[in-house]
Amino acid sequence: MRVGRRLLASAPALLGVVVFTFLLMRVLPGDPAVFFASGPNAGQAEIDELRRVLGLDKPIPVQLAHYLYDVATGNLGRSMTTGQPVLADLAERLPASLELTVTALILALILALPLGILAALRPGSLLDHGVRLVCSLGVCVPTFVSGLLLIYVFYVVLGIAPDPTGRIDIFAASPPDITGFLLIDFALVGDWEGWRAAASQLMLPAATMALFTLAPLARMTRASMLAVLGSDFVRTARSVGLGRFRVIVVYALRNALLPVITITGIVFSTMLGANVLVEKVFSWPGVGSYALDALLGSDYAPVQGFVLLMASAFVLVNLVIDTLYGIADPRVSIE
Amino acid sequence: MNFNRRQGLQGLLGVAAGGAIGTTIAAPEAAAQTRAETLRQVMGGIINSLDPTTPGGTRENFGLAMSTYDRLASFGVKAGEGGPTFDMDNIHGELADKIDRSADGLTYTFHIREGATWHDGSPVTTADVKWSLDRMVSARSLAPPQVASGSHTSPDQYSVVGDRQVQVKLPRPDRLALGNLCIPYAMMINSELAKKNASADDPWAMNWLKENTAGGGAYVVETNRPGQQVVLRRNETWKNGKGGALPFFKRIILQTVPEASTRASLVERGDADISIDLAASDVPAILQRGRVKVVSVPQTNAFQAIVFNTQQAPFDNPKVRQALAAALPYEAMFQAAQFGRGRILFGAHWTQVPDAAFPRTMPLNLDLDRAKALLAEAGHPNGFATTFSFANSMAAFAEPMAALIKESLGRIGVEVTVQKMPDSQISTMVVERRLPFFTDIGSAWLPSPDYFFRTYFTGAHRWNYSGFNNPEVNELVQAARFETDSAKYDTAVKRMINIAAEQVPMAMVWQANQDAVMAKNVDGFTYWFHRQVDFRDLKRA
Repeated sequence: MRVGRRLLASAPALLGVVVFTFLLMRVLPGDPAVFFASGPNAGQAEIDELRRVLGLDKPIPVQLAHYLYDVATGNLGRSMTTGQPVLADLAERLPASLELTVTALILALILALPLGILAALRPGSLLDHGVRLVCSLGVCVPTFVSGLLLIYVFYVVLGIAPDPTGRIDIFAASPPDITGFLLIDFALVGDWEGWRAAASQLMLPAATMALFTLAPLARMTRASMLAVLGSDFVRTARSVGLGRFRVIVVYALRNALLPVITITGIVFSTMLGANVLVEKVFSWPGVGSYALDALLGSDYAPVQGFVLLMASAFVLVNLVIDTLYGIADPRVSIE
Repeated sequence: MNFNRRQGLQGLLGVAAGGAIGTTIAAPEAAAQTRAETLRQVMGGIINSLDPTTPGGTRENFGLAMSTYDRLASFGVKAGEGGPTFDMDNIHGELADKIDRSADGLTYTFHIREGATWHDGSPVTTADVKWSLDRMVSARSLAPPQVASGSHTSPDQYSVVGDRQVQVKLPRPDRLALGNLCIPYAMMINSELAKKNASADDPWAMNWLKENTAGGGAYVVETNRPGQQVVLRRNETWKNGKGGALPFFKRIILQTVPEASTRASLVERGDADISIDLAASDVPAILQRGRVKVVSVPQTNAFQAIVFNTQQAPFDNPKVRQALAAALPYEAMFQAAQFGRGRILFGAHWTQVPDAAFPRTMPLNLDLDRAKALLAEAGHPNGFATTFSFANSMAAFAEPMAALIKESLGRIGVEVTVQKMPDSQISTMVVERRLPFFTDIGSAWLPSPDYFFRTYFTGAHRWNYSGFNNPEVNELVQAARFETDSAKYDTAVKRMINIAAEQVPMAMVWQANQDAVMAKNVDGFTYWFHRQVDFRDLKRA
């Protein structure tokens, strides 16, 4: 099966990523044994003991061999900062990041596609410049600034947003744990009260991220639409007398979608890991902030696990994008 | 197989429809507590272990353990500057309802309270107490080095001497022996439950106790999501409180919210009840708006210090240290970094210390002329270049400090490069003694003066930041530790303070406030030695 072959072909890349991260972590300054032995009165003996427990007293090639064997058997190590196995931590936190990223992406697409189309329909006009301004603002304002601003306006001043910490109201009962995606879980169980609560918690962080990713999506849509609107078949469709909506959405947009899909895939992969600032501002229990905390604490295992996860996610996303190509454009197929 | 459009669309539909893989309806929660009976604390740190002795544990673990586990004894409470604070000199029983001390101070007998039970309902036995004490000194954890400061070193010191009596024997009369049984590390564990989850190479259940509790304290852990939140519910059968009373709050939610401004907003809007680690810069504005209550207590068992590495030139020369100590802009730093919130440790003018209280105001004053003269005497008439370092986590106050230090030292010819590093990196460099000049915080759970000197002014361990090695101080510290005569003790301490003032291995600059911000109707906040919230104290008016 072609898909299987594709996956197999990306294995060497994954291996390279894993080895590279492993070596990089050990080259970074900061000795985890010292950092974690920082209880009052910890002396040299405690530090050495900790080093032995962490396996850091062995030579690097030996450590690498152990690590690769562990990864192959599904053991990504244990996090010193949370005290849990890394695989368990990532499995718990990935749905949170995914839910946030997907929602933000959908929100961004809902805004970006119409804006891009409108800008393409009237290039050079006031509307076009307006869209350009909105996109630039969205990209220039860093996510933690826009996040804090949104919290200030909607929570502190207006009071319409719920308290901006975590995925669900802290006083409410814990959600059913089926897939880890709260919107899906609540819908499956039929708890619409809970669904509304989870959705309202999701709004502010998703809006923050959507603002940031608006620019590439809208600009790519605009550029692609411009190219397509000037092509022969659109001219023919118009001259034949087809309705405006039909020409733009059914014929032009569908053909302009390929580059937009590519950009969406890239944006999605980067958002998944790089939304760490949004996760910090909104106390969102995602993989980005997990990896950052581990990195700052010289905790190797979670960072390596996170990088492996992101590399795998990138490979999978590329596969999905290629599949979507096949749907959007019947001339393309996975070769 | 070629994906064409039709097959792709059909595939997508299939995936969307086949989403549900069995539905498990969540069991209905226990009757929800009212909002008033629930306390929500938001903090910047994380809870990463339910066992405070776990290596690599965070400071927040200590506060949690005080509520989920009991200890044999506990410190009392006294009125302090700004609010109630812990009293190390007034120890009363917690799990033990009576404590007997022998006349020579070498034997303590603890009478375990009748009817005390663990969270799972089984009774507390002397075997449990003995196991817990053995674990405290034997396990590979953070506990042994700390409790050794009170002469707790071997399981042979602990014995069961009656059906409800456990005895602790000391080799010498150590002033901190009893105090060390009141700290989070000295927790009493349900040994039957713990042993069931121990293994041959983990006989003290270190791994299991990280994620589970086997205690008998005032609160039971209901849910624990490491790095995110911990939810506690009150132990309705708790007997070890003052007068046998239960704490007020039936449910405690301890949540990690990394962003300081969000924490402040949450408390001000009433969605959170208490937070003790807001940014110092936010507190004046909060006080002014007056929507919440602020309890500000100077952290009398902690200090901020500017450290000179006495093992590295040019700071191995006492005159250089004295010179720089005379060039530090103390008052300006205190205002810029701490907004004047705290207790100063500089500004005194004595040459012989008047009393044995420590930490205290030391003769550290800004005097640039004296600084220049001392520097010339030390052989650096044109100054020298050095670096000043601090950890990322301290940036909020250390950054202004660093800027002011750089400016002031520049005036006597010392060129300072400011270096900010991640906490783990600076820890390593401090241990390896590679930093010449840096700032750090020191704290002591058992703040007796000789303990401060023993920890921060002697020894090869990491807490002796400056690497200070003065033979007279080393000798005095050992003698003071076991000194039972208070006059002799005071004399020894005064001599140590004088040496520290003269040699200046580090300039202790201030004791920052702990600004606890809470809802107006939350009462009872007490400042404890572990600098965390003790939930048992709090109630809603």
